[in-house]
Amino acid sequence: MTVNTEPQALISHLPKADGSATFSYAGYTVVGAVNGPIEVQRRDELPEEAAVDVIVRPAAGVGGTRERHLESLIQSTLRQIILVNNFPRTLIQVILQIIVAPENEYVNAKITQASSNLPILPALLQTAILSLLSSTLPLTATLTSTALAIVPDQGGSNIVLNPTAREVEQSQSFHVFAFTSHNELILAESEGSFTMKEWDDVYARAYSQCCPPALSSDNDDAMIDDQRSAGSDLRHFTRSTMEQKIVSDLYWK
Amino acid sequence: MATQGPVIVLPGDQIDPSLIPSRPKKALKLGPGLRHIPPNELVPTVAGQLTTDHKKNSIWVEYNGGRYIPAVGDLVIGTVQRSAAEYFYVTLTDYTSNALLPQLAFEMATKKTRPNLNPGALVYARVCLANRHMDPELECVSPATGKADGLGPLNGGMLYDVSLGLARRLLMRKSLEDGKVAVLEELGAAGLAFETAVGRNGKVWVNSESVKTVLIVGRAIQETDEKNLSVDQQKKLVRKLIKEVS
Repeated sequence: MTVNTEPQALISHLPKADGSATFSYAGYTVVGAVNGPIEVQRRDELPEEAAVDVIVRPAAGVGGTRERHLESLIQSTLRQIILVNNFPRTLIQVILQIIVAPENEYVNAKITQASSNLPILPALLQTAILSLLSSTLPLTATLTSTALAIVPDQGGSNIVLNPTAREVEQSQSFHVFAFTSHNELILAESEGSFTMKEWDDVYARAYSQCCPPALSSDNDDAMIDDQRSAGSDLRHFTRSTMEQKIVSDLYWK
Repeated sequence: MATQGPVIVLPGDQIDPSLIPSRPKKALKLGPGLRHIPPNELVPTVAGQLTTDHKKNSIWVEYNGGRYIPAVGDLVIGTVQRSAAEYFYVTLTDYTSNALLPQLAFEMATKKTRPNLNPGALVYARVCLANRHMDPELECVSPATGKADGLGPLNGGMLYDVSLGLARRLLMRKSLEDGKVAVLEELGAAGLAFETAVGRNGKVWVNSESVKTVLIVGRAIQETDEKNLSVDQQKKLVRKLIKEVS
């Protein structure tokens, strides 16, 4: 199993969509496309805001309850950061196609898929945010998301960041967090059994991962270079990816 | 902006107060991509390059891509979908609700001499009403003078899609100096005779006596857009295209 530890992304590579991105990280690859604001079906129309529609497509086969669950989580997260009030009676459509998902080589893939929906959520959210940035829809903030598992370890337990499929399988509990670029918690999903203390520890770990302190409100170039060595910091990754895209778009300036 | 490189912002970033132009007498003008949260917070809503114009006391975010959102005063190329008693229904971008073009908003149009536009016809129009709660409205005549000023139905020719950024650069008053697009001038200098209309909604219409010329011009514009060509590369491209076809 090859897991690329460094995040990679391609922005605005689909010619027909308003915004698009391919994102790969921690063994997942997801293609995202955003269209909007477009005409909405009468029954989905909201008089004061845009309807956000998220469609998740699995790597193989057609979507089922697992995808519907992920869609509802992503939808309620995204509609909080998109300025939906700017486009009443329209539709903003986000399509996320899973291309690669890491397989657990110890267990039958079908069974692990059925057991948990959450491990892919950070990759989906991250792809969605890059696609939204590429579509230039107005947002209040960007977001970063991370996955953590509490894995039993010789009597004690250990918090593992971006766990592999095998670690998820062995874990006592599994958590997904998302924070906005204003360091606000926007999504917290957990499964398994855990105590309040454990949740607090996991939350603190996720916060330090998603909200690196030095960069919170500073966009000094030197600062970004210093922080890059700290590992795969997705907030800096999003920023540097978009910076590259904008500079190449505005080459004529 | 002379002191440092381009300032790139992402949605929700804080804007350094020193970057905001402050002229005491004029009101600050906010362009696209910025949101004012009363009383005095200024927040970018899109990812792009923060640009300021100290003379006009204005600030905006420059970006490329996405879908066209109508704004008053924009020149656009629309496709007539159908006509009703009072209005033509015109598409500006795919899958959005139609814009309205009153049948009397043409030069010299009266109840008896109204233009007859069939579904599929192209019109070059100005957006005269854009508002998030209503469908946009268009006009093909200047309401002050009653003259068309080049607006109206576009007959013949061919329509090409380009990015919103290139459309904006082509529409600049000094498209060569400010926008760094030289394809059209170069094609004209190479002896081709053609006419174009550029819509802010990412459409370029090209017409000429010869079909060959239309295709050369269209391809040159699209290639410039896709490959982000510089002025010199554009000149080279034009020379290559003309050599290929003749």
